[in-house]
Amino acid sequence: MSIRKHAAICCSKLANFICLKLGRQGVTWAGKIAITIYPDILKELASEVKKAIYVTCGTNGKTTTNNMLAAFLQSEGQRVICNSTGSNMLNGVISAFVLAADKKGHINADYACIEVDEASTLRVFPHFQPDYMILTNLFRDQLDRYGEIDITIELLNKALKMAPDCRIVVNADDVLSTALVHQSEHPAITYGIAEPCPDNPASTTEIREGQFCQLCGEKLEYHFYHFSQLGDYFCPSCGFKRPAIDYNADMISLRQGLSFTITNKDKTTASLHSNYRGFYNIYNILAAYSAAKAEGFSLKYINTVLEDFHPENGRMEQFSINGTNVLLNLAKNPAGFNQNISAVMEDTKEKNLIVVINDNSQDGHDISWLWDVDFERFADANIKRIIVSGLRAYDMALRFKYSDIACEAILSVEEAIKTMLDDNPDNLYILVNYTALFGTRKRLKNLEMEKK
Amino acid sequence: MELTIGHLYPDLLNLYGDRGNIRCLVKRAKWRGIDASVKEFQLHDSINFHELDIVLLGGGSDREERLVCDELTAIRDDFKEYVEQDGVVLAICGGYQLLGSYYQMGDEVLPGLGLVDLYTKQGEERLIGDIIIHSDLFPMPITGFENHGGRTYINNNKPLGKVYKGFGNTDARDYEGICYRNVIGTYLHGPLLPKNPMLCDYVLQKALERKYQKPITLEQLDDTAEQLANQYICERLH
Repeated sequence: MSIRKHAAICCSKLANFICLKLGRQGVTWAGKIAITIYPDILKELASEVKKAIYVTCGTNGKTTTNNMLAAFLQSEGQRVICNSTGSNMLNGVISAFVLAADKKGHINADYACIEVDEASTLRVFPHFQPDYMILTNLFRDQLDRYGEIDITIELLNKALKMAPDCRIVVNADDVLSTALVHQSEHPAITYGIAEPCPDNPASTTEIREGQFCQLCGEKLEYHFYHFSQLGDYFCPSCGFKRPAIDYNADMISLRQGLSFTITNKDKTTASLHSNYRGFYNIYNILAAYSAAKAEGFSLKYINTVLEDFHPENGRMEQFSINGTNVLLNLAKNPAGFNQNISAVMEDTKEKNLIVVINDNSQDGHDISWLWDVDFERFADANIKRIIVSGLRAYDMALRFKYSDIACEAILSVEEAIKTMLDDNPDNLYILVNYTALFGTRKRLKNLEMEKK
Repeated sequence: MELTIGHLYPDLLNLYGDRGNIRCLVKRAKWRGIDASVKEFQLHDSINFHELDIVLLGGGSDREERLVCDELTAIRDDFKEYVEQDGVVLAICGGYQLLGSYYQMGDEVLPGLGLVDLYTKQGEERLIGDIIIHSDLFPMPITGFENHGGRTYINNNKPLGKVYKGFGNTDARDYEGICYRNVIGTYLHGPLLPKNPMLCDYVLQKALERKYQKPITLEQLDDTAEQLANQYICERLH
């Protein structure tokens, strides 16, 4: 191994170690150091993956889907590299590989499951071309960072041209995703929910993307919607429609976590149960399931894997503090937030709620999307008390005011959590956007330890 | 009293929380006992401007704006008559650009509604960030967020305000938006109205005065929450 490569790996691991000791997230920094010292590091390490590389893209559900897929593959005895913390830009991807390298500078992995930010695909794909791309969905997200959704679609289109042999595991219910796959002409594996789900507390007023056919511009028609623009669509003009579904979820119950049956394209079925909440998580499980099935795995132990799946990354993460059951979840764009609201409503128990909104670079400086979220629905969610927090707490307070929902604004997250826990509520939901996640999670973790 | 708000093409022009502007107009009217109803018009719907008191034109992506442009010729004359009869219009971002005679994107020229003597040319960089402007319509600063690739030239028209922080109509950082009769065009979203209650009330007042043909004084509301959100931006950018 070259000295530079060795140095790259050592320095990168050291940087990560120091950051962890300091209680910070160091993966991005670690990746940057590695590629600065040895520019071919990612290309070389990725080429050592023995069987296949999966890349997970899409606006929402990347981290959950990707981590779940890694867990599914591991349950089949496979060795997997995964950027499990959700650091999904080039440097985060690099560090996932570098931190997995051994002393000789090699990795020993059957699969890599790598989530990649859509805008970063063009920077990542020159280093390796994935065998599979999972495309979860496309929603409006951080318009000041990514621009309009059409720009994201264009970026993914370009990225896919760099990986002509890649198979796409695509959400059949999302017209924006399937139109992209249709136009790119890559081989596709589809998953979806063929029939309406009566249990799903969907909103009828939410913003729906891509209502006009991506292929011909005509207004699309829908047999039904699951949420946002996900549903059974067709174009009355050019005939474009939801494709046949290879892996279909039905018999869905949302009453005790998630229960549903997947029918595979060979007509065999699997009954699944997860303690996760939120209708949208059915899509995440379906995506991971379809991706693993595409490699021929039986997934016999899938229910055990789902039961043990606690990624501890602030996605539906539970904490127990002084008898209060705290549920932390990330919500960073309208579609994600609307689904979070549904998840809160699926839980009929009385609860308190904290919403934390920041506007740092990684969140997007533009927080106008708060008005594209149907916060009005919280009025019927059995919520006793609401505190809004974070840098843009006042904007969030205003959003609630114009929904006729009372709330208090406390800018400091720590103070907000303390105030709420002083109430000793049975259930506390904390919904945060991206840069608020790490600090809030750390605070909750500490409180949980202290009170034990 | 009552008002009818026409929301044009919400399926296409709905970026950047435009729904918040509608919600703000409706709520601030209702809190004063004024009944405000919203009529949504989709592409190809015929629009009777005589039954509208406020018209809202939001922003969309370039692709979506092109789809709207094809439709504009059908409504241009009626819309023009509405504007010349002091009909109230709030046009944001893409909607603001559509008010003008054209939007030039590279070699392509998209014809606009031609309601106001202004035009837009696409610039190199997108102008993105928080923005504060001072308008002579009221003392409270107008705060919002701008994100536009177009530079809008307003000729001899009166701008909505002077740029205090941010870009505004062009890279020159001098003026923002337009006021023409009862038309307000601006690049500010955020959305615009909730954090700028005085502007919302100005729009409501103009619409009521036109409809009822008499001077209207709107009842004062408790705007503490609105002021906090507005001040937060001002203090941060100060």
